Amino acid sequence: MTAKKRKITIAKAMAEAIAHEMRADPGVLVMGEDIAALGGVFGNTRGLLDEFGSERVRDTPISETAFIGAAVGMAAAGMKPVVELMFVDFFGVCMDAIYNLAAKQSYFSGGNVTCPMVLMTSVGGGYGDAGQHSQTLFATFGHLPGLKVVIPSNAYDAKGMMIAAIRDPNPVVFMFHKALQGMGWLGTVQSSVVDVPDEAFEIELGKAAVVRAGRDITIAGLGHTVHLAMDAARELAKAGVEAEVIDLRSVAPIDRATILASVSRTRAFLSVDDDYMSYGVGAELVATVAEAVALKARPQRISYPDIPVPFAPEMEHAVLPSADKIIAAVQSILGEK
Amino acid sequence: MSNVIIPANLWEEDLEGAVSIWFFEEGDNVSEGDTLCEIMVEKSTFEVEAPAAGVLRILVQVEVPVKKGDAIAHIG
Repeated sequence: MTAKKRKITIAKAMAEAIAHEMRADPGVLVMGEDIAALGGVFGNTRGLLDEFGSERVRDTPISETAFIGAAVGMAAAGMKPVVELMFVDFFGVCMDAIYNLAAKQSYFSGGNVTCPMVLMTSVGGGYGDAGQHSQTLFATFGHLPGLKVVIPSNAYDAKGMMIAAIRDPNPVVFMFHKALQGMGWLGTVQSSVVDVPDEAFEIELGKAAVVRAGRDITIAGLGHTVHLAMDAARELAKAGVEAEVIDLRSVAPIDRATILASVSRTRAFLSVDDDYMSYGVGAELVATVAEAVALKARPQRISYPDIPVPFAPEMEHAVLPSADKIIAAVQSILGEK
Repeated sequence: MSNVIIPANLWEEDLEGAVSIWFFEEGDNVSEGDTLCEIMVEKSTFEVEAPAAGVLRILVQVEVPVKKGDAIAHIG
């Protein structure tokens, strides 16, 4: 006899978190394309319209310029909008509201007007949706001061981080990776579907998690690449290499302390992300490590090459990170020490 | 012992689907009414509930094609 479990997907965890905060706070509302009647194309607002009605769960026209701008205004007026940018790739038409208004509101008003909004947005590819629906753009958003940018790798973190994001007085970009959403047609990573408490709880934003302990090398990933790193670590262990795996969970702020504490022990480092390489997450992590720790071998990063995402599956998967690429990189790093 | 059968009216038309997620593992205890798994048909998702309480034995793994009326698990 084993204890009763409650495994749910990231999509359901997000919907539960939003529902909890909507019950607790009448200022919380949800807006976006197809988030009400359909429950979100990625399932993360399912059930909210039935419980809270169309005043607080609002389907919008296809104008991110209008409804994300509206969300920033609502937040300035004291409401707590959770607004969905269906694909992060669509940020172009609403970026002024995000980085010039939302991100700077608190600074420009001397802290008098905060911006308690959550922008939730899908990231990542792997299912043949090509260059305008498959990017992650972690670094694009992480580069801009004033925004918190987070991404969960599993349903437990998704629930705790969404509740923390809604309660946060700052604008939070809450990214979720399509491959982890629990929507079968996008491919589902089973290890993202985990036991999640029914009740509300918070996970502090900006804190990375050590998800596997190891002495030989530190591998840092976020979102989908955490699962690839775990797969690689299990394979490497069979050959006697013990990798420590860190789930960043937050792009901004980035948890340098957790990375450095780990690398100070392992003195070897590999970062793995599925955003473009140049000026990216890997560049930031490798610089952070190189500035602070005398490493036993040269660090490496696996990222997406600096090209738009190809449509053909053979081409897309050739350039995406994979467990095999991680294993090869670890062997290359540790082979030269 | 109960069989977990995909209900004949779970989705329209005579399409094949596939289990996309099992929410429990082999040998887990389940209660009547628990959502056991999701079945993906085209781009829609359908949940299958436990018809009885007991220990789950999974017969169909994820991504294997299934039809309405198929037995996908036992509960014993």
